[in-house]
Amino acid sequence: MNRWIPKCLLLNFFIYFSVSLSRIPRIGIGGPVGSGKTMLIEQMVPILKHEGYDIGIISNDVVSKEDAERMRKNLATEKGLMPEDLVIGIATGGCPHTAVREDPSINISVVEEMEIKHPNLDLIIIESGGDNITTTFSPALADYFIYIIDVSGGDKYPRKRGLGIETCDLLVINKIDIASFIGADLGVMERDAKIIRRDKPFVFVNSKTGQGVREATDYVIKDVLFNAPPKSKIKI
Amino acid sequence: MNIENDDNFISIDDISFLQLSDSFFPTGLYTNSNGLELLFYNKNKDKKLTYNDIFDFIRAYLSQQVGPTDCSVIGNVYNCIQKNNYSTLLELDNMYYFMRLIEETRSASIRSGIQLLKCISSFTDNNEYVNFYLKNIKDGSAKGVYPVSFALSCNAMNIKKERSGLMLLYGFTISVVGAALRLGIIQHYDGQRIIHEMKPVILSNVINNVNRSYSSMWQFIPQLDIIQIHHEQMDSKMFIT
Repeated sequence: MNRWIPKCLLLNFFIYFSVSLSRIPRIGIGGPVGSGKTMLIEQMVPILKHEGYDIGIISNDVVSKEDAERMRKNLATEKGLMPEDLVIGIATGGCPHTAVREDPSINISVVEEMEIKHPNLDLIIIESGGDNITTTFSPALADYFIYIIDVSGGDKYPRKRGLGIETCDLLVINKIDIASFIGADLGVMERDAKIIRRDKPFVFVNSKTGQGVREATDYVIKDVLFNAPPKSKIKI
Repeated sequence: MNIENDDNFISIDDISFLQLSDSFFPTGLYTNSNGLELLFYNKNKDKKLTYNDIFDFIRAYLSQQVGPTDCSVIGNVYNCIQKNNYSTLLELDNMYYFMRLIEETRSASIRSGIQLLKCISSFTDNNEYVNFYLKNIKDGSAKGVYPVSFALSCNAMNIKKERSGLMLLYGFTISVVGAALRLGIIQHYDGQRIIHEMKPVILSNVINNVNRSYSSMWQFIPQLDIIQIHHEQMDSKMFIT
């Protein structure tokens, strides 16, 4: 019977069901307040959307819904890249680290609700504030962890290590455009990041202009989505 | 496994009692202030909240809502298990859901309840009541509210009905004390003093409510309901409820 079915159709069928039956891939983006997490997401989502991927966003704000509202307005209302209900803000009781690591119950619950409501999403992004010393995402919550820092903390930042910088899957160093103004040497940051991170990747970005964001997004497409086609493009 | 030594008798179930009472147990309850956050910001304008305000706040909740409703649900779930009464278990779930007046408190209760059950089912033996409830949540026949999930979890870990009631009220108390500490209203010694002084209130509310029939469950706490409604509308907040 199989000879009547084109091979590509079988492959698509396999990908569609293996993907739709498993959980939606999730990436966690963590970093200190003001490091550029929200802006990085605002730059990555249009690139992913251009590739055909459908995205949901969960934002853990420490004291407000500002980030979620900003992304909803920018990415959903104004650019129409996603429905408004796919940007959700969560209050964490002042414990952002706990909410993505020791007790991610509420985040997992919201992710599961999103998976039930929007099973055809290709990726869920979970944003959370957190310092470089203790921030990590529970593997039960996120499959891939991006930690973002910016140069304004000084070029010593990568060298000072911490769980976020050392254990994340991708380290993003943001605001490279202001490095010269504050005396941060990008060469030093690159040297130290290579030593600390060993084989794990890091990228320099300027989230304001989009410089370097394509490279960061390519890591997500390759390492999280395994270059799979978007669910919406798989025909069965 | 039990260890008996003269008058002392300890067992694995005692450790389960500690495990489920511990704020380290992952249920997300630390994200709730139960409206205390709004009271803090409003009161802060002219007069700061005091130790006594926090004590009264918790006591009012325990006596007027958590005791006569949540604790009664606990007792009734145990009765359902004893009588193999699955349909009343689902009725309790439904009734509790509709007794939560504020949308955010309803969804917070469900989120914590479902995650609690999933966590318990990941390491306890195949418990038929936990499985039944999880199946009905998945089918959409049950919501997964926290007190029902909590009682089923306690039962799955061989914890007695009255102790489950104590754990629930104690857990509520420490979640509000934790919120008060993080808001900077009280200091850490004050927090422990409140918990210590709340013990008779917790005990009497469990004794008075754990055997209450589900048809006589009640709650009356309008001022705090209104505070929660306003908290839900806050633009900038640290806590879910």
